[in-house]
Amino acid sequence: MTTDDFIKELCSKAGIEYAGVYTRGRKEGWLEAEDELLKAQTITRKNVARICHMYLLKVMGISDLDISGASKLKDLYDCRVCANHIAQVYLRGIMDAKNIMRDGEFLWFDLNGEDDDEADREAIRRLLLIHVGDHVHQDMSGS
Amino acid sequence: MNGPAPINDRRLRFDSFAEDNLFTKKPRLPAMGWNSWNAFGSGNTEELTKAMVLKLKELELDKLGFKYVVLDDGCYHPERVNGHLQADNIKFPSGFKAMADFVHENGLKFGMYNDIGTRLCSGAGVGIYGFEKTDCEDYIKWDIDFIKVDNCYYMWDNATFADPENAKYSYAPNIKRIEVDGITYDAEDAEITGTRAEIIDGYATYIGTFDGTAPDHSPVGLRSSELVFQIRSDEDKKTDIKITYASGASEGVGQWLQVAVGENIFYDALLAPTESPEAFTISPAIPIDLSKGINKIRIMNHRRQENTLHSYAEIRHELENAGDRDIVFSICEWGKTQPQNWGHKAGDSWRILNDITFQVGSDGDHGTAAWEGDYTTAITSQYNKAVIMDEFAGLGKGWNDPDMLVIGMDGIDETMCRSHMAMWCMLNSPLMLGLDLRRVTKGDSLYNIIANKDLIALNQDALGVQAKRIFTTYNCAEPDKEYIRDNNRIDILAKPLANGDIALGFFNLSKERKADDPAVSVETILNATGAKTAGKELFANAKEYRIKDLFTQEEYTSGSREFKAGILEACDCKVIRITPLS
Repeated sequence: MTTDDFIKELCSKAGIEYAGVYTRGRKEGWLEAEDELLKAQTITRKNVARICHMYLLKVMGISDLDISGASKLKDLYDCRVCANHIAQVYLRGIMDAKNIMRDGEFLWFDLNGEDDDEADREAIRRLLLIHVGDHVHQDMSGS
Repeated sequence: MNGPAPINDRRLRFDSFAEDNLFTKKPRLPAMGWNSWNAFGSGNTEELTKAMVLKLKELELDKLGFKYVVLDDGCYHPERVNGHLQADNIKFPSGFKAMADFVHENGLKFGMYNDIGTRLCSGAGVGIYGFEKTDCEDYIKWDIDFIKVDNCYYMWDNATFADPENAKYSYAPNIKRIEVDGITYDAEDAEITGTRAEIIDGYATYIGTFDGTAPDHSPVGLRSSELVFQIRSDEDKKTDIKITYASGASEGVGQWLQVAVGENIFYDALLAPTESPEAFTISPAIPIDLSKGINKIRIMNHRRQENTLHSYAEIRHELENAGDRDIVFSICEWGKTQPQNWGHKAGDSWRILNDITFQVGSDGDHGTAAWEGDYTTAITSQYNKAVIMDEFAGLGKGWNDPDMLVIGMDGIDETMCRSHMAMWCMLNSPLMLGLDLRRVTKGDSLYNIIANKDLIALNQDALGVQAKRIFTTYNCAEPDKEYIRDNNRIDILAKPLANGDIALGFFNLSKERKADDPAVSVETILNATGAKTAGKELFANAKEYRIKDLFTQEEYTSGSREFKAGILEACDCKVIRITPLS
């Protein structure tokens, strides 16, 4: 799915106007200039995480969770600008991590990876189900 | 981009790291100001920045030294426009020059941000690599006074977002043996310098430099390794060396090899890759010169440090070429390549670890910080490393940078914020505020912490000496050198000052009240601070001392030659300034 398709899908499911969303989203602080400039490119997982998290924060008004529970993601600290986005969507169960070990647990978010269209739609679906006061995703909470 | 540039300037080489000969640097005290990152992350705007400028003035923080207003990541248009950097037109509609003018009109100084790689950490494709000259000319046109240069997307190391296989440039291959003049010498019989490399199954591995981004390793001592063979020659001669090696492209085993005899480098390039890090092959013959007597043949790879220094030095060079502006150069490669060894050659400060928080704020959200944690994202994680790095810092060298202040963020209480400020002041760290200043009012608790004149005076003291840890309740022989990550302790730091006073900081790192009440004597202080103490004799021979508590402002005179803090609450500290009375 391209970034543009993702934003269209988000607008559609959230019931917000697609026309002018890039300018409006940037002013509201949940989209970046690169989203419009590179809208034809396939959206990466880190950008899905960023848009979902900033939408959660700026449009839905839902505050951040403590991110210590996400430190089990082995690549969380690979990215200072997206670590919080990833932690928030992971802890809220909007996006899942990947366990790349056959035996045991080695959780990897795969920042630069790309999901299929269904997974991207699922992230939007889960995002829009979040409500103020929701608790952390059961499987992901703080150990 | 076929690989890192040749390094023909020996001043950029590992063997010259200790020399201050690359630039004429202005001795300057740690920079103070406000940086957008911790407060607003990528969401900083012209409007918010202007509001911060006006608050710095209203609160008169500028008069206390907070002068630099720095735009961090997230402010650029995501691609170059006609080859040039440009402001994000929604966030900074008036552009950078107008922003700089506004800052300057208010008597403050203006700073910006970039990366030595191809992109910024935010992903914007405007990293300075390949555009050093153009970008530095633009920065000069925009009248910047400060630049912070990050390390994302760096081509010659496995930096954040860079290709992980770039580690091939950072480490030498695994080495089994060398052959010189038909005689073979096994790696396991050679000397390994430093603390990184080791012999495994008959071959040497991890020949290179520790990655210092995470808080796992001490910064003290030699953080890289070479494999050194001592070979006797009966005459001065030209000969060849062949190396049995196996290459890789991950942390610990690479493909780039440097071969030196003494200080003369004879090979500095990639070797042909092998099938695996255990599939050994023999290199082509590499010509070397041997001298009569014992020759030190060094198998090494210092390129992790040399490449990064080279990249930073190029930016500084282009800034100096572009115009005559006094610019603070803030190196931010997260301690990855042990910049405490080389940062002083190009920069005014160097970050020592990854970020102090990854949970930065945005307009209306304070962001979150922590007192302690397993990774770098905690006040004590940064402190625990910085506190043993005093010997790397100084006037004319530059400053260890344990990252920007997190005072005012959620997750830390007032006591923690007070101790955080005191630590950073004692450690001569740059003091870059990272909160939304609209939350601050003169006289409130946040203001009282960030505007503590007495603490700031320690940080900005003209002597320019970072405090040394002279005692800790943790059991260790060398408190100024041992890397301690167990926070169940009290540290005592001593900081000599220009007028002959000495500041002492007592820090309770633990989250429990401590009644240990450790004391230090005049002799312990002076033995530890040594030659860096101004007026040492006067301090040693004083009959009495005037003592000022820099938080309570209480002052008293004491004839005791011991100093103590009393009971310290969890995460609390006491900082005193001691004046010898003759």
